[in-house]
Amino acid sequence: MEWGSVPSGRTPGPRDGVRALPFIGEILNYGSLSIVGLEKNTGKTECLKYVLERLPLTEKRVAVTSIGIDGETVDQVTRTQKPEIVLREGMYFGTSEMHYRQRRLVSELIDVSDETTSLGRVVTARALTQGKVLLSGPSSGASLRRWMADMRRFDIDLVIIDGALSRLSSASPAVSQSMILATGAAYSANLNTLVQKTAFVVELINLELAARDRREMLMPLEKGVWMIDTDEGLHDLNTLTSLSQDIHFEGMERCAALYVAGALVDSFLEKVRKNKDLKQTEIVVRDFTKIFISPQQFRLFIKAGGRISVLQKSKLIAVTVNPTSPSGYVLDSDLLCNKLREAIHLPVYDLLKSKPCN
Amino acid sequence: MQLKNVIESPCGLRYMLDELELQSGYARRWLLDMPMLTSAAAIETAYGVVRRFVTFLEQVDTPYINTLRFKLQGLKDIRTTIQNLSKHAVLDDIELFEVKHLAILATEVAALLGKHGMGEVVEIPDLSKVIDILDPDGLKMATFYIYDTYCAELRDVRMQMRRQPDDQDDLLLKASELEEGVRRDLSSQLYPYAQAIEQAQVALAQIDVNLAKAEQICRQGLCFPRLSCSDTSRFTALFHPQVKAALAAAGKEFQPVDIAYSQAPTLITGANMGGKTVVLKTLTMCQYLLQFGFGIPAHEAEMTVVDDVYFCIGDEQSVEKGLSSFAAEMKKIDAVIRASRKDRKILALIDEPARTTNPTEGAALVTALLKVLSGKRMSLVMTTHYDIEPGKARCLRVKGFENGQMNYQLVEVHDGEVPHEALNIAQSLGIDAEWISAAREILNSDFRTT
Repeated sequence: MEWGSVPSGRTPGPRDGVRALPFIGEILNYGSLSIVGLEKNTGKTECLKYVLERLPLTEKRVAVTSIGIDGETVDQVTRTQKPEIVLREGMYFGTSEMHYRQRRLVSELIDVSDETTSLGRVVTARALTQGKVLLSGPSSGASLRRWMADMRRFDIDLVIIDGALSRLSSASPAVSQSMILATGAAYSANLNTLVQKTAFVVELINLELAARDRREMLMPLEKGVWMIDTDEGLHDLNTLTSLSQDIHFEGMERCAALYVAGALVDSFLEKVRKNKDLKQTEIVVRDFTKIFISPQQFRLFIKAGGRISVLQKSKLIAVTVNPTSPSGYVLDSDLLCNKLREAIHLPVYDLLKSKPCN
Repeated sequence: MQLKNVIESPCGLRYMLDELELQSGYARRWLLDMPMLTSAAAIETAYGVVRRFVTFLEQVDTPYINTLRFKLQGLKDIRTTIQNLSKHAVLDDIELFEVKHLAILATEVAALLGKHGMGEVVEIPDLSKVIDILDPDGLKMATFYIYDTYCAELRDVRMQMRRQPDDQDDLLLKASELEEGVRRDLSSQLYPYAQAIEQAQVALAQIDVNLAKAEQICRQGLCFPRLSCSDTSRFTALFHPQVKAALAAAGKEFQPVDIAYSQAPTLITGANMGGKTVVLKTLTMCQYLLQFGFGIPAHEAEMTVVDDVYFCIGDEQSVEKGLSSFAAEMKKIDAVIRASRKDRKILALIDEPARTTNPTEGAALVTALLKVLSGKRMSLVMTTHYDIEPGKARCLRVKGFENGQMNYQLVEVHDGEVPHEALNIAQSLGIDAEWISAAREILNSDFRTT
């Protein structure tokens, strides 16, 4: 055997007697999955636990990590209990040096990376027994991307990212190909509001891709605001940031689309809508994590004939709900699942009830 | 004096470091910590190693070199771990992994180089014993944990853990006690190799650095300098790599220059935009490149070794020290004069001294500076716009405008008279005609600057 090759240990299948919901199968179609919560205590960690328990490891080599410090035994903000992450034999994981030393399983170190966190460098290991570990992986999107690229050396098929709470950036399509969104009473205790707010996030995640040619043209541009004219010519609207006072530039009447490389905010959207030359224009953003707009402004813009498209999008596999809020308030799980499913046309699950809502 | 102390010198040394294709961050740190070589013997030895790597690059197939580079990318800075080991500390799993990783890397790189007769160029200590200690099953993999083989009792506890995965607390405690015992044992077995491990890490950094220097020499067309027996430094077809690259990007060509200087002061005069400052920057850079063992950007170079290099460029302002540009410059030149009185061999390169003050006093300061520094054990190259009495200084002049084009070649002249081309050059830049012709009128009406 070559030096430095990867150990090929026994990789067991799903645990006996554990039935899996259908979305588990779909996860296997992607090389990366991030699990993000819309708010603390929306059941993100439960969802990760559920996925890790049921993934068939015989087919895929799976690595798990988390972005930023996560996986504390007790939620630092709300003081509610948070389950530790249980890894199965054969799973790879990335965590900080400090949490590696505190692991409660036997594992084989395969890499010590140059990525550092406040808890030391990120180390990668393979679990040799089942056991618990605290995950605290790369602390930024960029270092997470580097870590994931590095995982290719170990023939990892699927990287699962425990996303940061209420930080959707870890689910950016620039990082992961697919995602699961956790929502629940902690996001809003009013059932209708919760459904509406969640549906809006889902709508942004599912925004359509811009035309292929435009995606290729715009992808390298990571800064600024640009105009695409009716002949697909690109113009740098140098002086115009998305926060500037008024929108006025030469050739405005020939504008087919505007590309905003940075954050898209309400004020910009409003100015575009109120401009008679631009109100039916298409706004292109990099991905949904760059959109910081209210549902109201979004609706008004669409109503006026505008469109928003993205350069990159990730596949939203499922939405999970936690009907219990940290204050103890409980929503009707079936009603919540049904209403949300109607609103977003995607599978919605309450994992603690562990059955599909339909 | 380490490379990191001079890397930000305005001569552009940083560019040469940035252009070096180093594979590991540790090699970069090692290079930056490298002391400036001030003995001819040390410099010859350093170039000897780089030469071997140039031959290696020329003779060995690219895939092979790429494999070596890829391996070197795995070089990590494990100095803290080595320190812990030499202090008799018990290493943890991560540290043991690092040691094993380095030992395997060192063995692999030694094998790769050995195959091409490079084994003795940079010697890597044999760490096979270290690998044996950390690879009890002979798996030959760069991974690590406290293997079952180390301790039969540990193996039994782990087997129990696998049988009852849901009730592990006592077993985990037992296992971690046993593991700690193994770590203690491993650490004391490794202790005698601490020094060899450290040497291996340094050797790998040296290989990375020398391979990168050799590659840079081939890619940028640099040369190996000859060490001069006299005090004369001589360059043919000297160029500044950064300026050359910038010109190439704009579709222009860099005109190399020939220049020589010795202990007598050398004065460079010439028109604005004649490349005088670039010459000084290049000479400064070359001196540092020599004394840190890099290739020299010239067709041929013969150079002398010095103890200190002083580069004074006029337009610096020490904002943080609250000094004006004039004060900052005076302080720097003052340092040169003080250094020239000590028993150290120095090279001083001074760009247009006293340029920011009035021409009367400025010219006096420059003439006096030449007088003060003449006859000292130093090489001095200085540029100026002032008409001054050169004394014992050798005078070089930029050829200047010829047929509407700048000729950057330097020619030896026998007086210090400076060319009066400022107005012609300004005109060629398309500067406001009213302004330029007014200046001509003033010049013609008997106005003298000195």
